[in-house]
This record gives sequence, C-alpha cells and structure tokens, in this order.
Amino acid sequence: MGRDEGLNRSGFADALGLSVLVTLAGAWELMVRSKIAEVQFLPAPSEIAAAAQSAVFDGQLIGRTLHTVGVTLLGWSVASLVGLGLGLLLGLSPIAYRYSMTSFEVTRAIPPITLAPAALLIFGFSLKMELVLVTFGGIWPVLVNTMGGVQKVAPELRDVGTMLGLSPRAMVQKIVFPAALPSVMVGLRLALSLCLVLAIVAEIVGNPAGLGNGLISARQSLQPALMFTYVITAGLLGVVLNAALGAVAKGLMPGDRARRDSSW
Amino acid sequence: MQRGLQQRARLVDMQASYECTNLRAEVGSRRGARRVVLDDVSFTVGKCEFVSIMGRSGVGKTTLLRILAGLQEPSPDSSVSFGGKQVAGPPDGVSLVFQDYTNSLLPWRTVARNVALPLEGQLSKQERETRIAETLEMVGLGDRANDRPFELSGGMQQRVQLARALASRPAAFLMDEPFGALDALTKSDLEDQLLDIVAATEMTVVFVTHDIDEALYLSDRVLVLDGTPARIEAEIVVDCPRPRAQLRTRESVEFLSARHELHEVIFGTR
Amino acid sequence: MRRLVERVRLGSLPGLLLLFLVLVGWELVGSADSPFYPAPSSWWPALVERGQSAAIVPALVDTLRTFGLGLTVATITGVALGLAVGASRVVGRATAPTFEFARALPPAAIVPVATLLLGFDETMKVVVVALAAVWPILLNTSSGVRELNPLLRDTARSLRLSKTRTLFSVLLPSVTPSVILGIRVATPVALVITLLVEYLTAVNGIGALVGDAQRTFQPARVFALIVIAGALSLAVNALVRSAEERVIRRRRR
Repeated sequence: MGRDEGLNRSGFADALGLSVLVTLAGAWELMVRSKIAEVQFLPAPSEIAAAAQSAVFDGQLIGRTLHTVGVTLLGWSVASLVGLGLGLLLGLSPIAYRYSMTSFEVTRAIPPITLAPAALLIFGFSLKMELVLVTFGGIWPVLVNTMGGVQKVAPELRDVGTMLGLSPRAMVQKIVFPAALPSVMVGLRLALSLCLVLAIVAEIVGNPAGLGNGLISARQSLQPALMFTYVITAGLLGVVLNAALGAVAKGLMPGDRARRDSSW
Repeated sequence: MQRGLQQRARLVDMQASYECTNLRAEVGSRRGARRVVLDDVSFTVGKCEFVSIMGRSGVGKTTLLRILAGLQEPSPDSSVSFGGKQVAGPPDGVSLVFQDYTNSLLPWRTVARNVALPLEGQLSKQERETRIAETLEMVGLGDRANDRPFELSGGMQQRVQLARALASRPAAFLMDEPFGALDALTKSDLEDQLLDIVAATEMTVVFVTHDIDEALYLSDRVLVLDGTPARIEAEIVVDCPRPRAQLRTRESVEFLSARHELHEVIFGTR
Repeated sequence: MRRLVERVRLGSLPGLLLLFLVLVGWELVGSADSPFYPAPSSWWPALVERGQSAAIVPALVDTLRTFGLGLTVATITGVALGLAVGASRVVGRATAPTFEFARALPPAAIVPVATLLLGFDETMKVVVVALAAVWPILLNTSSGVRELNPLLRDTARSLRLSKTRTLFSVLLPSVTPSVILGIRVATPVALVITLLVEYLTAVNGIGALVGDAQRTFQPARVFALIVIAGALSLAVNALVRSAEERVIRRRRR
C-alpha cells in the first residue's frame, strides 16, 4: 500500500475516529446505567445531553457562554493592543530591550493564575476583577512574543531597508512588522487561550457570571450533568476561538509562513 | 587587443565613481576587543568599470563592501567618496546585492512587490508597474511576477534580488559574493546575465568573490585584499575584450595570463 | 549553588533594570498599610509575622509532592499511550478525535467536577494535574515514535536482534529525546495546574496559602506568596531544563 494512501483516505480515518469516540461514550453510558462501577455523581452521557438541552432552552447556557466569550474577547483585544505596542517599542530599541528583557522573563515565570487572588483582593467580586485579570494576563504572551519576533528579524532584511533609505516608519511598516508577524501570531494565540482560562477562573472564584460561575452553582446544587455540560461548552469554546484565530493567521501568512498548531 | 586598449583609454578619462583613500576600519563591540580589519586601503573605481575584490575568507571583503554601501563607518581618518561626495549612510544611486537571497527577499511579498520596494514613494503607481515589468524582463522573470519567493529556485531568487537592486536604475552595484550559494551551471548563467545587464545599463560594479575564475571572467580589474590588517596587495588588469563569452574568453591568451598572474599573487609561485 | 544560578540562565543582569525601577517606584508610591497595593518592603515581613512562616515550608512540600506525583502519572500514561498511538497509524487516527476532545477541556473547569467526583484529597489533585500534563508528553512521544529513523529498524533486523532487544536497545533509546522534550513542556503546565487546584480547593500547598491570605485580607502576604510561586516556577523549570541537557549531552558522546 502506498505510504499514506490506504489509511489516509480522509473519510475512512475520520469515521474510525468518530466511531471510537461513540463507542467510548456508549461504554460510559452502559457503565453508569448498569452500575458496574459506581462512581458517585458520575452522570451518563444521556443525562449530560438532557441537561445541556434544558440549559439551552432556559437561556442559561447561551447567556453564560456569551458572557465568557465577551469578556475573553474584550480582554484579549485590549491585551493584544497593549502587548503589540509595547512589544514593538521594546523590540525596536536595543537599549530598551537590554534593560528590560530579563525583567519580562522573570515576571513571565509567575503563573498568571496566581494573580487571581490579588485581583480579587483589589477589585472584589465584580466584572471589573474578571476583566482586569483577563487583560493583564493576556498582555504578557503578546508582549514577549512580539518583542522576540522583532528582535529576530534577519539583519539582512534590516540592511535592505537601510540601503533603500526607508524612513523609520516605513521600515517598521514594510519590513520589521511583516517579518515579525509569525511570532506575533503565536503570541496572540497563546494569549487567547490564556484569556479564556483566566476568564473561567475569575468566574469560579470572583465574578458571579459566565460559564465558570455556572459550574460552581451547578456544583452547589449537586447537578453533575449540568457541570459536565459547562465543562464541554468551555472546551468547545476554546477550540472554536483557537480555530478562528488560526484561520486568520493562515489568511495573513499564506504558504510556508503559517505556523502549525502552537498550543504546545 | 585593440578594443582592450580603447577601453582602457576610455576609463582613464572618466571621473572616478568610488574613491577610497587611506581607508581604515575596525570591527568589534563597543566595549569588547576591537580589531583593525582594514588599514591603508586606497583604490578608485572608475565609472562603468567592473572591479572585483578578492581575498581569503574573513580578510575583510564584506566589511569593505559594507563601508562602500554606507552601512558601516570607517575610522575617522579615512576618506570614502562616491561620485565626488563623501559616503555617510547609503549613497544615492548605489544598490547592494547580498549573497543570502533567502533572507534578503521579503517572503510575504510576491516577486513583483519585492521589486517594487525601492520604488514605493518614488514613482507613481503607473510608472512603478512599467518599471517593474521592464526590470523583470531584464532578468528573465517576466512570467513569475505573481509568485512568492519560496516558490522559486535559488537561482531565480537571486535574480529577483538583482531585479530589486536594478529597479531604481542605480549608477553602481555592490555585490557580496552573489553567486556563491549557487551550483556551477546556474552560476555561469547568472554571470552572463549580469554582464548583459551591466552592458545595457552602463553601471559601475564592485564585486566581491573568492572565485578566481569568476572574478577574471566578469571584471576589468581585480583587486586582491590580503594581510592582517588587510590592504590592497595587488591589482590585476584583465585585458579581455567585451562582450565576453564563457568558452571563448576563458580560453583566450589574455584571460590565461591574467589568471596566471592572479594565481601567483594569491598562492605564490608553485 | 553557583552552577544552579548559572543554569537558571536569567539572561543578562542589566535586563532587570526595568523590574528594579518598577519595584522602587511601587515602594515610593505605596505604603505598608495600603489595602490594595502594599509596598514591596512589606511583603517579606508579612510572610514571617505572627508565626505564619511555619506554614510555608510544609506548603512547598505539599505543592512539590502533588506536582511530582502528577507529572509522574502523566509521564507513565503519556509515554504508554504515546508509544501505542505513534506505533500504528490506524491507532493514531482512530484515537485522535477522542484525545483532541479531552485535550480541549480546560483544567480550570475540570476542578469543580473533580472535587464532586473524587472529593477533596490528594488523589483528586493528582488526577487533575495528570490530566492536564499528559498531553504534551503523549503528543511528543507519539511523534517521536512516528519519526523514528527507519534505518534503525533495518539495522536491528540485519543484526537479527530479538524483538525485546530491538525494543529496549534500539527503539526506546531513540524515542527518549522526544519523551524528555514532552516532559519539559509538561512541567510548567503541571506546576501551574497544581497551584490552580490548590487555590480553588484549599486542600494544601502554596496555592491554598494564597487563597487563605486573600480571604483574610492580607494583601502583602498575597504578593509575597505570588513571588514565591514565581520563584518556585523558575527553579523547577530550570532544573528540568538542566536535566534535559544532561541527557542530551550524554547521548552526543
């Protein structure tokens, strides 16, 4: 059989994968129904589906999802603008870079999640707390990756710009920024995933709204099927957002420049 | 022979293009050890002359070229002028061609837009389109205008760089081992293409290479850079008539004697 | 000790100027009593006052233990699954949707579910950490297997090595660098999720201490603990990186 021919016929492989997934779900359903292995509170897939359906109908699921998405995107947009601007400035100026890079490497080691308690202390249980945490956390990946990308622009490209007598603005616009774009996109994608996680964490501990809060209230009322619904929705949300941004990245950087999935 | 002499006479009359006097250059970091790379380098390059600069790896050829390009500053006592004016920053009318074409072309622009880069802000859109089309024809890439650099072979990418350098119709070309990364067949093709272009545009060329035969084939004069710190150790005049041809010129008496001379200078009599 | 400091490889020292300026500015602008932005000088005292310092080292131990256990479970599971997934194209394609689905679930959202199903104990913490950290290891192991140099297989066959010998002397050693890379990528994930679980569930560990300080309105202590979390993160990452380098260096010879 040719190297990839037989098994890579898209239809077959995907069908196999899906059937594995369905089989596992089926086994799960059977396990819960027949009480072979009893795990307290573990819901069957059918119960999860039912909970999801009712959550959609009473508006809970959609409302909460919209909140989480809204906060994530808003915080991410602001964080991206700030991170891009600062990253460009710091990357372009060798002096600024030299006196600040290590500072960023050190502060980057602080897991943004650990900032949640500080945000909670300062801003209390509010939407503001969620927004601040999401935005602040999202700035770092964008900033660091933009800075790195600008620094890594091939010296030959800069020389080309100098030889052509490009003004500083034209240099950034035509050469530095396009050359740094792959790194910038990596930073933007990392930031988006991070912003979503931070939003959910903020909703779990602080702001009584959104998917995170839905999780907590479902837990408090001992509704595991509803909890699973929220978890799965959060997962889907992450996938959709990441895919959307990936598509944008591919559109901006055709051919060999589009980076592969960078979630690792 | 007659044509060669006529050519020499013509060159002597012309005002010099590049003029270097007592050029001295250092490399190294601001605080670290600084090394004198070039010292007491003096030469001129006449208008429409094709001069090659040869030397072993690391001797300072690229540093010299970068100084001519205005990308690097020589020591204060040096004098480097182009067209009568001191070089401070990239001089008008001078284009630089790098060896590493992959890293000097903009991968996110098509071939045509790469060539457009020096023209943006200088010519109107209409004039730009015409100039780009003309220039791409000169390098034989007229049909690849909308491709991206990564879709082209190495030789073609280097031709795109040539086109970009040509687009602004410069008076002088500075070339840093432009064909060093290419295979022998592509190299001879591009050498001839370069000679055609230079003949058509009457440009001055300063060509850095470590390939003896290439230097002799292309140039009117070959300068040998040697020593630590480096200076012009020798100057070989290549009296071959133009237009040159790969086979005929390389078998001619003038070529072989110049080659012999150059070989002796570089390797000593063996 | 000096080797460890070198290994942390913070880049050049001048780069800390910005951080230094920010801290000094904060110190000048803030005061020790500010309810929201206590000055940096008050952070350390807040850690050690009123005998609260006794809790810190045990908390560190708890965090490291959960982190270590979680990473170990993730490694064993990830390598086992990765070997299976990488060895056979069919298995790889068949399991891909399931794994992609599981991988997409955010660990933060999983924590409340885990506490409901497993309770508030060490097992729950380790499970959540392992669930989050297994993916880089799994993916890197499977790609390591898939990218195995076919020449090695041929060499083993031409030397007529037994199946077990082939596995242990040829295949596993050549997959090792990929596995180590996966572990290196999984390490920060494991640590962050450990802290997250501790913060959300307040069982034990540094994360729980931070949550505690937050609920009792001790901002200086919160910031001090954040710094400790950051230092822990730097140290752990540096250690794993240097372990990775030592493995690679041994192979180069």
